This record gives sequence, C-alpha cells and structure tokens, in this order.
Amino acid sequence: MQIEREATGSDLVLKVSGRLDTPNAKPFEQSLLAAVAETSGRITVDLAGVDYVSSSGLRALLVAGKAMRAAKRELALRALQPQIREVFDISGFSTLFEIT
Amino acid sequence: MLAFAELLAGLGLLFVGLKFMSAHLQQAMGRRVRALLKAATRSRLIGFVCGAMTGAIAQSSNAVTLIAANLVRGGVLTTREAIPVVAGANVGTSALVFIAAIDTRIAVLYLVGLVGCSYQFKLDRKPVQREWMGVLLGLALLFLGLELIREAPTTIALKDAAALLSGIGPFLGFGIGLGLALVTQSSSTATVLCVAAVQAEMIGLHDSFFVVLGANFGSGLATLLSAGGLHGTGKQLCFVQIIVRGVGCLVVFLAWAAAAAAGLSGGVTFSSISSGGTSFAISIIFLLLQLSGGLAAIAFLGTTEALARRFSPPNREDHVSRPHFITDDALGHVSTALDLAARETDRLIRHLPDLLPDLDQSGADDAKVRAIQWRGAAAIARATDVFLVELIDRQPVREDLDIALALQHQQGLIEALQDTLKSFADAIDSFPAPPPLAFNLCESLRAIVLELADTRGGSAAEFDLLIALTAERSEILERIRRTLSTAALGTAEEARTLLRALSFFERAVWLVHRLAMTLRPAANEANRDLAGDHLTRDEADAD
Repeated sequence: MQIEREATGSDLVLKVSGRLDTPNAKPFEQSLLAAVAETSGRITVDLAGVDYVSSSGLRALLVAGKAMRAAKRELALRALQPQIREVFDISGFSTLFEIT
Repeated sequence: MLAFAELLAGLGLLFVGLKFMSAHLQQAMGRRVRALLKAATRSRLIGFVCGAMTGAIAQSSNAVTLIAANLVRGGVLTTREAIPVVAGANVGTSALVFIAAIDTRIAVLYLVGLVGCSYQFKLDRKPVQREWMGVLLGLALLFLGLELIREAPTTIALKDAAALLSGIGPFLGFGIGLGLALVTQSSSTATVLCVAAVQAEMIGLHDSFFVVLGANFGSGLATLLSAGGLHGTGKQLCFVQIIVRGVGCLVVFLAWAAAAAAGLSGGVTFSSISSGGTSFAISIIFLLLQLSGGLAAIAFLGTTEALARRFSPPNREDHVSRPHFITDDALGHVSTALDLAARETDRLIRHLPDLLPDLDQSGADDAKVRAIQWRGAAAIARATDVFLVELIDRQPVREDLDIALALQHQQGLIEALQDTLKSFADAIDSFPAPPPLAFNLCESLRAIVLELADTRGGSAAEFDLLIALTAERSEILERIRRTLSTAALGTAEEARTLLRALSFFERAVWLVHRLAMTLRPAANEANRDLAGDHLTRDEADAD
C-alpha cells in the first residue's frame, strides 16, 4: 500500500493505492489520524488506486471519520472503483462519508 | 387384525401418555427441578435424593442427565456434584415401572372422569392447574395404553406369540431390551413394555430378566447418543450414566448367577423377594439395577469421576461455555446480580465478531473453532437469560426491575444475533471460494459487528453513528437481489446460497440496529451505569 499527500491550503488529499487489508489497516489508520492532527481543513481520501477493501480497511476509515466528526470537520472519499463502492453501499459506510 | 390394531393403539397411547405426562410435569415442576438440582451440591446423599425426585418428576433419567450436563457445562454444578444426581434420577424413574405393575383398570376410569369433569367445570383456569390436568391425562392415556397391550394378545394367537417369545435366551433377551431402550430412549418405558408382556403371559420372568438388563444398559447408550451437542466436561455425565448402568447390570447379574449356582432359580428368588407376582419381581429387578449401579458410583465417586473425565476430557468449549461473571450466589443481592448480568451481556457483545469468518485472513480462520465459539456463546446467553428470569422472579424494586427487563430484552436480541451470525457464517463457509458478493457481504457485516463490539459502553454520539450505519438499506439489498435473480452466476446453487446469505445479512444488520438503540446511553441511562467498566478490544482478545 502507498499513500501520497497533496496539500492545497488547509485541505489535504490522500491518494491511496494497493490493498486496504488487515496488514495495511493499522499503518493506513495511523496515516489518516496523523493527517487529521496536522491539518485544519477538509481531508479527501482518493481511493482510485485501491482494488481491495476488507473490514479492517473499512474500520480504519471509520476511526478517521469519527476523529474528523469530533473536530467538526469532514472526511470525503473519491474515485471509488465499482467493486469498492459496492462494499461501502452494502456496509452502510457510504452514508457516513461524502463520496464523490 | 383388530387385535394387532389394539396392540398398536396400546403402544401409541403408552408413548403419547408418557410424552404428555413428562412434558406437563416438567412445565408444572420445571423451576423446582432446577432448584432441586442446585440443592444437590450440599452432599452426596442430598444429591442422590434430589436426583431421585427429579427423575420421578421428569420420568426420564435421560432428560435429567442432559439438564445436569448443561448445568455442568454452564459451571452451575461440577461433574463430581452431578454424579449423585444422575445416579438418583435412575432410581426416580422406577416409580413408573412400579405403577405399571399394579392393576390400573379402575385408576384409568377415575383419572379420565376426574380430568374430564375438571375441564367441563373449568378447573383448569390457572396455568399450574392446567399443567397438572395434563399430567393426569397423560397418566390416564399411559394406563389405557398398558391395558390395551395386556388385553390384545389374549384375543390373538396368544400361544403362537408365547411360543415365539418363550426361551428367547439371555443374549437375544439382552439385545431386545437394548434395542427397545435405544428406540424409546428410556429404560423405564422398555421395562414397562416388558411388564405388559409378562402380564399377558407372552414372556416368562427368566427371559424378561435379560430384557430388563438390556434395557438398563441400552438407556445409558441412548443418553450418549442424544448428547450430540455436548462435548468435553458437558459430556462426562453421559459416560457416568453408562458406568452406572453397566455396574448395575453386572451386580444384579452376579446376584442372579450366584442364586443359580446355589441351586436356586433367579426368577423364583426374585419372585419370593417381591412376594407380589412376576410383575413386581420385574419392578424389583429394575429398582435393584438402579440402586446397585447408583450407590456404587457414589461410593466410588472419585473413580467414577476419573473414568468419565478420561472418556471425555475437558476441552476448549468448556472454557468458552462458562459464564465469567454471573453466579447463583449473587442472586441474593439484586444490584450486584444486575451488575454481573450487565457485564456478562457486555462480554457476549464483545465476542460477537468471533462468530464471523475473517475472509481477509482465511488461513487464520477456522470454521470448527467458530462453531465452538458459537455453542459456548449460546450457552452463556441461555445461562444469563435464566439468571435474569430468576432475578425478576424475586420481585425486585421497580428501578431494578426496569433494568432487569432491559437486560433481558438485550439478551433476546443478542441470542437472535448469535444465531443469525452463525447461519450467515454457515452460508459463507459453504462456498469453496467465496464469490465477490459473498466477500463484500461478509466483510461489511464484520465491520458492522466489530463497530458494535467497540461502541458498547460508548457515548450517545458513538451509538448514533452506529444507528446511522445500520439504518434501513432495503434499496441496495433489493437491487442486489434483482441482480442475483437475473445475472449469469456460476450455478443456481451459488445464487440461492448468496440470496440466503443476503437475507441473514439483512436480519443481522437489523438486529445490530435494534441492539444499538437499546444500548444507547440516553435510551437506557441506568443500564449504562451498570455496564460501566468495559474492557477494551485488546483486553477482550486476551480474555
């Protein structure tokens, strides 16, 4: 798994590629939480390069989403591949995040 | 032909009567049975007497053994404490054999009259009275069945039947008794049939001795066969039954053989002891089988326990089936009992994710381990439910009653969720390689249940998030259903399994939603206080 950061003012885009599975979930969660702490604006996670999401990957996003909610900010997701979008729809996670 | 029909009707009435009587007796005395079994821990003698009483109530040592085995699995009794109960239960079932040995024709008439008049004059309004009416009606049907069995052979070729059964010999007699006990799952029922055959002069005392011996041993095997769901410590009592029955057979057979060696007929000896005819002699033999085996097991309690432990050593299921917090001692102090029940509920929720496959780490996942986890979790949920019912029965103050009822409601949801997750996991496990939709459903449900496990004891805002996450989603699921109906999948069986998994998924999400609403602090502030000290997920993993 690889994560690229693109900052625009106070906003941040995280471009993720690879698999969001159990071994990668913890580093992914730590990167997200670090981004929440470092920035004051909106965070967008670009999932165009992600072709696999497990329950651990979903939970990492949820932890970051909660942290953003507590800070009264929004975590957005974008460019989900169709099979990844289906996981988000079935699990109900698409109702918790803004997806573009 | 009519006589055969009478014989068949007699057997039918006998079985229906037994079932009817046993079911109503357990309803009428069910709570006392549990209290009796719990009182058994005081001493061996009390355990034996309690076992005899429960055996007489349930009229099935098999049922008492399985109830006691579940109490052992739940940690209420130890195997050592339960051995006298099992031994006593066998003695209790002798009551039916003695009743069958007496002339019941007049009793049947009185019983039917009594029950009929009671129904006509509405004396069955109260539930307890209704159950006792059921017991009496069951007894009447049983007696009527016995009468039909006794009478039927006199109208058919009695001599032919007697000739067929005469001199069946020890081995065949033993085999017939063993088979009857395995089919009827009861040594007393098999012996009652033997008594009827003796009364109809179809069989002599010598042959019926070996039939009763076989029935006694067969009943022990029947207990083991009907304990399919029990493993480890829970199964030890089934082996105790076999030991008790086997020792009983050996002791009584040696006494019979000793009488023969001394130049006496075993049959004559037992008849003279009973001084009440052949039927009573059989009842006495049955009672001696139970007493000799039972008393030997109690006298050599340590050896019996060691043997049972050797046949069925403790396993992982024993650990996961045992409640960690609730104990019967706590029932005397309501607030402590509620606190413990809340902690047990909390623990059950924490372990819910263990019931689902982890497809992301398929190498580390084991369906057999998950099945053990499910059986253990279900046993704890049942034990907690019983604990709460007993607590509510003690009529606590209003505030405590509200908390107990809320916990009971949560227990109901947890039990339903456990079963739904098991069914969902079974559907997923049935795929040699789960298709993408099965993977997505499984990982989605796992994420939701993991969130439930982590949110317990959390703030209202965290529960609101979970409630939103598990909100209605019929649109997407309906779309998937339509796709499954029309898409070209691998096989029709695959589509059917996916549809089944989808239904279980939908139900599981709905149950998590309902559970989250009952656990949300604002909805149940008092309960939140009780369940205060929640363990973290890491601590849970170490548990």
